[in-house]
Amino acid sequence: MRTRRQYWVLVGGLGFAAFLWSIPTIWMLSLSLQPNEILARTTTNTGYGLVPYPFTLENYINLLSLGNTPRWFFNSLIVATGMTAVTLILSTTAGYALARIPFRGRALVFILILGGLMVPEQVIFIPLYTMFADWDLHNTYTAMIIPRLAVPLGVFLMMQFFRSIPEEVEEAAVLDGAGRWAIFTRIMLPLSVPAITTLAIITFLYAWNDYLWPLVSAQRQEMYTITVGLGSIQSNFAQTEGLGRLMASGVMASLPVIALFIVFQRFVIRGIAMGPTK
Amino acid sequence: MTSITEAGAVTPAPQRMSLYRRHKDTVDGYLFLAPFLAVYIVFLVYPFLKGVWISLHDWNLMAVAFNPDAKEFVGIKNYVRFLWGRDMTWDMTAAWQPRLIVLLAGCAAAYMAMSGQITRRMALVVGVGVAVVWILLGFHPGEGGRWFDRRFWPAVGNTFVFVILTVPGVTIVGLALAIALNRETRMMTVYRTVFFLSHVLSVSVVTLIWAFMFNSQRGLLAELTERLGAEPIVWLTNPDLAMIAIVIATVWWSMGIAMVLFLAGLQGIPAERYEAARLDGAGSWGLFRHITLPGLTRTTTLVVVLQTIAHFQVFGQSHLMTHGGPNDATQTVVRHIYQAGFRDSELGEAAAMSMFLFVIMMVFALLQLRISRAED
Repeated sequence: MRTRRQYWVLVGGLGFAAFLWSIPTIWMLSLSLQPNEILARTTTNTGYGLVPYPFTLENYINLLSLGNTPRWFFNSLIVATGMTAVTLILSTTAGYALARIPFRGRALVFILILGGLMVPEQVIFIPLYTMFADWDLHNTYTAMIIPRLAVPLGVFLMMQFFRSIPEEVEEAAVLDGAGRWAIFTRIMLPLSVPAITTLAIITFLYAWNDYLWPLVSAQRQEMYTITVGLGSIQSNFAQTEGLGRLMASGVMASLPVIALFIVFQRFVIRGIAMGPTK
Repeated sequence: MTSITEAGAVTPAPQRMSLYRRHKDTVDGYLFLAPFLAVYIVFLVYPFLKGVWISLHDWNLMAVAFNPDAKEFVGIKNYVRFLWGRDMTWDMTAAWQPRLIVLLAGCAAAYMAMSGQITRRMALVVGVGVAVVWILLGFHPGEGGRWFDRRFWPAVGNTFVFVILTVPGVTIVGLALAIALNRETRMMTVYRTVFFLSHVLSVSVVTLIWAFMFNSQRGLLAELTERLGAEPIVWLTNPDLAMIAIVIATVWWSMGIAMVLFLAGLQGIPAERYEAARLDGAGSWGLFRHITLPGLTRTTTLVVVLQTIAHFQVFGQSHLMTHGGPNDATQTVVRHIYQAGFRDSELGEAAAMSMFLFVIMMVFALLQLRISRAED
């Protein structure tokens, strides 16, 4: 921009575009804060429905006291946290081995793991279903967490990061007589906090938002994640229980990921730019 | 390396000790890899091979669940069942729209080979691929014949239409916003957050919002058109508009990642190039055309490939917003696999169709690999 005026025109125009872009989200939030009796008549009551007036918290109170939504929220929390914790352990150890240990067959292992990037969940969900059915593990947190742990994205992310750490750092520790495990836990891991944070956040986001596998694996309502649960109620819920409460469920399903995104924005964007998450 | 020199310098240690020393790196390497490798082999490599195995069987979900021997080896019959039909014929004009697109892609590759943008070998691979696909698309059921699976190829077609509409949408909006927002000021940072926010929502939240946005009785769009005095548009139950509605929702959902990648790409263009062009008297369009766009070639290719991979596996939007309808107008490949497996219990055919999906995914993934290699 050559002049200040042009800059402010741009800011204004983009502001308007950003407002239009967020209308769907604002609308969901606003509907969740209006009484169902009004929503049964119109969804554009005040300010095209974007202003929650008349205002009520009734939908959220109902949501927390009745129905499955709190349970689904809790399930998602367990699945996403568990998946994140284990992914961090598997990815850092494997990433370190690939980046820094010159073991025999490294090239072969690398190619074997690289091939895994070509096999998305959508290709193997049928055989995975039969495997977990044979073990009688469907409708458990284990079944919902495990398959995603095999996705090698995190391994490559950590591998790239470990490679960027100068070798001298490690060599100094070797001269001091430190073993490999000590080097890994006391030197490499503390140095890679940013990369680990990035991986943790994108794994959590992915786990929270995953739809196909939990849909296949959890058949009992009380084991749904909130993403699956919200999908299951949206086709006819609105007529019976009220649009307001449905939208409140949507807001609840979005709060953790939005909060995570706002707080750790840099990490989210860096992580997502590194690899596709859905 | 250190272990070997150590072993040579120090007085000979007991046999077992030196064996470990000599192979220390290898032992350590596999110890560190073991946890991930175990999970990877059991839950990715093995399921993939088991998928191939299932696809070669007549494998009914219910029957095999009750009696593990109820499956029957049928060879490639499952593949024939969704790929082929009865009384098939071939002609030049069948499926001419997709074939025209394939031919145009071939011409583009030939042009790029001649102008030296891609290697001869690459062009040859593309050319052979184009020819094979073009020939295969000519097959169709003749008079009195029919596809064995009437819903498969339309689902493939819908998925391609979805990808062909969504990917350019995401790319163009993402590029435009990235260029507009490529300034390090406070307001621009806030805007980036706002535009990216929709990307972190889950698919069921996105479909919840957009299904109601498009709802013809109470939706925001319907109420707006009504206030303007027009008849509300019936989006989701109209065969022509349902796909458009899903594409709009998807562009809104996944534009953020394209914007972020383009912003990163823009940072990589040296400012001196703009300075030099400006000294040469280039206007803002000239700068865009001759500096920005060429500087973003790699990023654009990456965005297009990543988006194609992601959107070819579309499932949730179609499953939740339109249930694949109306009249299968928004049925997609993954939803067809899901239904074959879990509604019709035909795991054998579902697994075979997963392999079809895998082959397509593999082509895109290899393309992505080539691009990221070229970047390094």
